[in-house]
Amino acid sequence: MKSDRLAAIRRRITEGGYRRNRTTAVPHFLPELDAENLSWPRRASRLIRRMCEAEQPIIEPDERIVFARTVPGVPPIFSQPDWTRLTAGRTLHELGPISNICADWGMVLSQGLAGRRRVAVETLRDMAGDGEAVEFLESAIETIDAVLDLAARYREAADRMGAREVAGILARVPAQPPETLHEALQALRLLHSVVWMGGHYHVGLGRFDQYLWPYLAADLAAGRLTLDTAEELVAEFFLSLNKDSDLYPGVQQGDNGQSLMLGGVRPDGSEGVNELTRIALRAALWTNLIDPKINLRITPQTDLTLLTLASELTRKGLGFPQYSNDAVVIPALVHHGYSLEDARNYTVAACWEFIVPGKGMDVVNIGAVSFPAAVDAAIREGLAAGESFTGILRRTSEDIRKQVSATVESYSRLLLPPAPYYSVVMDGCLERGRDLSAGLRYNNFGIHGAGSSNAADALAAVEQLVFKESSVSPAELIAALDADFEGHPVLRQRLLGEAPKAGNDPEADRLLATLFGYFAEACEAIPDNGRGGRIRPGTGSAMYYVWLSRGAPGDAAPPIGATADGRKKGEFFNANLAPSPNAQVRGPISVLQAFSGIDYQRVCNGGPITMEISDAAFSDAEALGKCAVLVRTFARLGCQQLQLNALNAEKLMDAKAHPERHRNLIVRVWGWSGYFCELAPEYQDHVIQRYQHAL
Amino acid sequence: MNSGTVCDIRELTLHDGPGLRTTVFLKGCPLRCSWCHNPEAQRSEPQTIEAAGQRRVVGTRYEPAALAALLNRQAPVLREIGGVTFSGGEPLQQGEFLREVIEQLSGLHIVLDTSGNADRTALDRVAARCDLVHYDLKLIDPAMHRRYTGCDNALILANLRHLSEMGIPYVVRVPLIPGVTDTRENLAAIARTVRGLPGLLRVDLLPYNRAAGGKYASLGMSFEPGFDESAEVHIETRPFIEAHIDVHVAGPAGDRTDTGSRDKELR
Repeated sequence: MKSDRLAAIRRRITEGGYRRNRTTAVPHFLPELDAENLSWPRRASRLIRRMCEAEQPIIEPDERIVFARTVPGVPPIFSQPDWTRLTAGRTLHELGPISNICADWGMVLSQGLAGRRRVAVETLRDMAGDGEAVEFLESAIETIDAVLDLAARYREAADRMGAREVAGILARVPAQPPETLHEALQALRLLHSVVWMGGHYHVGLGRFDQYLWPYLAADLAAGRLTLDTAEELVAEFFLSLNKDSDLYPGVQQGDNGQSLMLGGVRPDGSEGVNELTRIALRAALWTNLIDPKINLRITPQTDLTLLTLASELTRKGLGFPQYSNDAVVIPALVHHGYSLEDARNYTVAACWEFIVPGKGMDVVNIGAVSFPAAVDAAIREGLAAGESFTGILRRTSEDIRKQVSATVESYSRLLLPPAPYYSVVMDGCLERGRDLSAGLRYNNFGIHGAGSSNAADALAAVEQLVFKESSVSPAELIAALDADFEGHPVLRQRLLGEAPKAGNDPEADRLLATLFGYFAEACEAIPDNGRGGRIRPGTGSAMYYVWLSRGAPGDAAPPIGATADGRKKGEFFNANLAPSPNAQVRGPISVLQAFSGIDYQRVCNGGPITMEISDAAFSDAEALGKCAVLVRTFARLGCQQLQLNALNAEKLMDAKAHPERHRNLIVRVWGWSGYFCELAPEYQDHVIQRYQHAL
Repeated sequence: MNSGTVCDIRELTLHDGPGLRTTVFLKGCPLRCSWCHNPEAQRSEPQTIEAAGQRRVVGTRYEPAALAALLNRQAPVLREIGGVTFSGGEPLQQGEFLREVIEQLSGLHIVLDTSGNADRTALDRVAARCDLVHYDLKLIDPAMHRRYTGCDNALILANLRHLSEMGIPYVVRVPLIPGVTDTRENLAAIARTVRGLPGLLRVDLLPYNRAAGGKYASLGMSFEPGFDESAEVHIETRPFIEAHIDVHVAGPAGDRTDTGSRDKELR
């Protein structure tokens, strides 16, 4: 796609042009809120209203989709003492505000904000005697009016500067249901941004190609758009998602959860891939920025041309698309109590957790189980007690159960703050007169499962060297672990080199699947999370692969020492589903086969197999096609989720400086391959240089 | 039973035959090509590599059944997407081991990647069980061949003629080494040699990659290529085209013009 107009907008974004419009200070509404002694719901809605009022319209002459934030933050709605009092004895999820869910954007667009307002007004009339409902609905209406006022001010500004197209569109949306893709994208831009302005974060975009397809289909049929002009609009929308992303909270820059799902089946089970699926992939290819984060739902039958197009995106090195396998995910969600129709409509939360747009108030990341901690304790205690390997497994299972119980227990007093505006864009809140924070149809919790490969490797090492071969004594192993292998280099070398490793050995793979089985059992033992939901075990690690190995920010010391897989104290665990950083594996087929052994029907909170592939593997059309075959193999093996990362020069340079972090990094050129870290420095430079030229 | 020594097993190899392949690199090679990019596969016995402060033994002994079992675990995948390639080193140097492995593989597409410098019996017994052979031809001039690979090419040329009579399809692969194998004379001589040979599917030209020497230091070896590494590779397809031989240049430039013909070799 060649568009000078979009290139200019993109440049403005990457050069920080939109940030120059920001005010220097965040306005404070606290005196007003305190003076009126407003309730929590009314404070939340007043916040939205004042935040909308504080926005100054920013319309660049070359834009066809407008809105950029000028207020550089979200002020508190309670004083610190009041906040402490309100939250005393309660558990807040992360920062507090509801996050990491997905609105039913299709529903909101199809009704328009005016339509949503009518629903609120009707319910208000019907529930006039219900104080809670009245307060909620009045708050919700206040937020709707605030957004409509903001849109009106944007329209006036557009009028003043002669931007007639923008003004015309804003005269209809977001109040009325859009009639074109352009109107729908403009409405979405505004509606989505306001969620962020309420202090929510990890605000997903859901099944973009499904809920917007009717608008594009109508445009194509009427001749208003071609595939090319549609792609330009979608690309502009994607660019717009990067205007404010520096304002979004996350663990790291870019961790903002603007996930977008493509592909998959419709709720009725029919094929959902359409022209917009491909347009969105191509638009992301052109945009080449970190937002939105593209996800693609596939099946073992997905055609290779779509996967090849997706592989082109992987080649860009941004780490997406992330693939989810419908054939595994949908039945697993049904197994966890989701209706078939809703399961078919799944999207992902910020990272990978499967959620249902509009209907899920799942808290998918309440914590993480540390598999290595469970295994380490079991090995130490089991060996000390002279138990068999089965005894160690039993202790592992018990420890995982305790970790799960403690994590769930810590959320038994979960406090979700009222979210009147977010409720407007969810299913049923206005209809029932109840805030989103009171729960939706699905109210499950999710727990990550971190360090699975390191833990499986530790078990496999003990099983083989201590029990099967009796070549290492329990005392020797424990002494070496306690000494962080200082003075035990030979034992460490054996643990690293001789013991089976997950991803490379069926026995270690089996132990890994066993660990997830224990995790599932522990979660299934808790029938209700206190919110009418279940506990979903997952295979992701998020940042826990660092926090549970080296320590979380503020930790005085790492939470675990050296481990029986040969890992020294302070070394990272595997991220998500991947072999341990210390394991040298043969390649993607062994890795996919290893992780295909997990029972994903029971382990369905999401968490991708994470593979890094040299971008030499994407060097040409034929290689791209082969990458597509690899992705299809992932689906055919019955794996759940996949993230492919193309290696770039930056990564290679990091590998040169820190080889210990990149043992598995392989550089491959036609007939030969080598471990990057084993190449002499001058050749590493040469390879890096080549990759730089390739990019 | 013959056990064998494997240098490495790599999955998702893109250029070792049709489709996506798992390549087994067998250890030990009679040649000492001055451009060798797999020096760890030259010696037959296991050896230690030391790099980035870590030691690693290269060379794992396998019983045929164990290696076959490892590959058969991937068979359901490999049958769909590609197959197995045996490379090296010179895989035929462990011919009996290899034959036993292949006999235990279940329905996999098999490529043999050989230098041709091998015992005739080994070639017979292994190639007969393969679906495709990648046959390396480097230099036609015997003196040049001795100088750059350390051995004579008479056996290689004789084995090529023998292979062409076996009825196993094969691809002749020519590494293009600047100033050594990429000369007009040598390429023309190769074209004359392979012209009209039955069973020849194609000639692949593989331009030299400069990173070849990267592994030597970690093996305690020094890389002395004996030619100018930085010289431009001369890529000439004309002698082959004129001889009506299908020719293909590996690497990005060549692959773009390749319309998947190689995948047609998959049965």
